[in-house]
Amino acid sequence: MDQPFALTSDLKDNCLVIATSGYVNNVGGEAIAKEFTRHFEKGTKKIVINLAKSKVVNSIGMSFLIEIIEQLEDAGGKLVFTDLDPAVEKMLAIMGLFKYAGKEPTVEDALRVLTSRK
Amino acid sequence: MRKHPSTSGERASVKESMKLKIALPKIPDIELVALEGLERLARYMGIREDKIGEARILVTEAIINGLEHSGQKHPTVRVEFSMTKKELVILVRDYGKGFEPGAVEEPDIKKKVGSKNKRGWGLKVMKSMSDDFQIESGKRGTKITIKKLLS
Repeated sequence: MDQPFALTSDLKDNCLVIATSGYVNNVGGEAIAKEFTRHFEKGTKKIVINLAKSKVVNSIGMSFLIEIIEQLEDAGGKLVFTDLDPAVEKMLAIMGLFKYAGKEPTVEDALRVLTSRK
Repeated sequence: MRKHPSTSGERASVKESMKLKIALPKIPDIELVALEGLERLARYMGIREDKIGEARILVTEAIINGLEHSGQKHPTVRVEFSMTKKELVILVRDYGKGFEPGAVEEPDIKKKVGSKNKRGWGLKVMKSMSDDFQIESGKRGTKITIKKLLS
């Protein structure tokens, strides 16, 4: 069975990198959004969400990420997902999240993309 | 004599069909119990990882839909998997107040960004990710039947 939700966060090159593990349900989604907001209020506008260790997600958890997109759109920021399980990637595509957020194979790729933005 | 699957990595024959039935009360993350059963069945049947991943999402969304929207004080959903090497049929039934599926507005990310209600994606995800999706709903509950091709 999938392990309980947990996240770690790190600032790299002025980008917030959030890495999750376990099931991203409503609790997990809210935790990601709160961690983002904590850094966003201090001026961080570039964010990477690494879902490598989250093979199970649900649409309620993912809907919290729309809040992040919303705040970043207003501030001219950018969100990039990395290390997506193919099924999770398909779900995010169905929800239309890639109209607003990017996706890259790895965190390093995402940081390269984000740091090249003005 | 037919050899029964036990341990040691035995695999199902092409024609073999496996069923799993389970009743789930509404407690946090109970859908993970169904996913455990689904994954064990799928691995025994030799199903590809990408198909297991999509099946996980379909099962999760169907169970959450039943538990969240039944309208009952103590909801229970009945889940049934029927799996061959070729396809998975997922049946999820709740015994709540039902709803009118046709009246549910299809979510659109452009409308969700900036709106208060960001939820409501379950039906769209299930319809889009499955190979066949049926929903029957009435005063005695809702039944969702999902077919997913596995090969």
